Amino acid sequence: MTEYLETQVDKFTFKVEKDRFYTTFGVWALLYGGTARIGLSDYLQQTSGDIAFADIQPAGTVLGTGEACASIETIKVDLEILSPLAGKILRVNPSLEMTPEVINEDPYGQGWLCEIEPSDWENDLANLLAPEAYFEIMKNQAEEELKKK
Amino acid sequence: MSKEKKVIIIPCSGVGKSFGTVSRMAAYQVTEDDRPATTQLVPLALLVLGDEEARETVENNPVVVIDGCQLACAKKMVLESGGTVSKEMAVLDFYRQNRELKPQGISQLNEGGKKLASVIAAAVDLVVDELTEEGGKNG
Repeated sequence: MTEYLETQVDKFTFKVEKDRFYTTFGVWALLYGGTARIGLSDYLQQTSGDIAFADIQPAGTVLGTGEACASIETIKVDLEILSPLAGKILRVNPSLEMTPEVINEDPYGQGWLCEIEPSDWENDLANLLAPEAYFEIMKNQAEEELKKK
Repeated sequence: MSKEKKVIIIPCSGVGKSFGTVSRMAAYQVTEDDRPATTQLVPLALLVLGDEEARETVENNPVVVIDGCQLACAKKMVLESGGTVSKEMAVLDFYRQNRELKPQGISQLNEGGKKLASVIAAAVDLVVDELTEEGGKNG
């Protein structure tokens, strides 16, 4: 069963799914069966706006931690998504080519970006945030953004 | 459609965003240049403010909305105002089909944005023609 940490800032509700790890930027990684699936947090997708295009590096691409694995164009910004872990891209979400809005609609589920075979998961994990830690950072980011308005 | 009726065009009011500007440019092109005799622009802000004349206009005429994004504010306000949306269009959908026309700038759109507005206007023109033809047939 899906469990979230949830906060409301102004009129927006932001969710952090509790079963995965995060970067401060808002990229998540979920390890299952030796493969890591990555995607965008609810906060990152909401603040970035409707996604027009999502270009993911092709399967077979070998990435280092922090290297660009995707570029995402929204109605507001162009985002370069940095990989939260090192490894080889095994599969790109096939839905993204025709329906990139799935990232907005279901960021923790159907809106995943790609699956990576990790080459140094233990090391990368040490640099990722537990959901509770990311939740606090995300709340601060959201409140800071609100102050700017 | 009776002679008095017009197709109402309502663009996004997303002031400060390129997609909103594209939406409004497309609406201006349709209502001022392409189909001035059969269309009328109603600013979304009037519906938001509850302007009675604007509300009656959308209640009594076919409406085409041009929304900037998935929030679909224009569509929502038409429905809240008691109107019916005959055709719903979104700038984002047209941009996805015309990636080379990336809109940039707000008060001054770039060439891509201007061309995208023209593409949308041409699509709206066709919808207007269909609606006016249908209306004519129906009396």
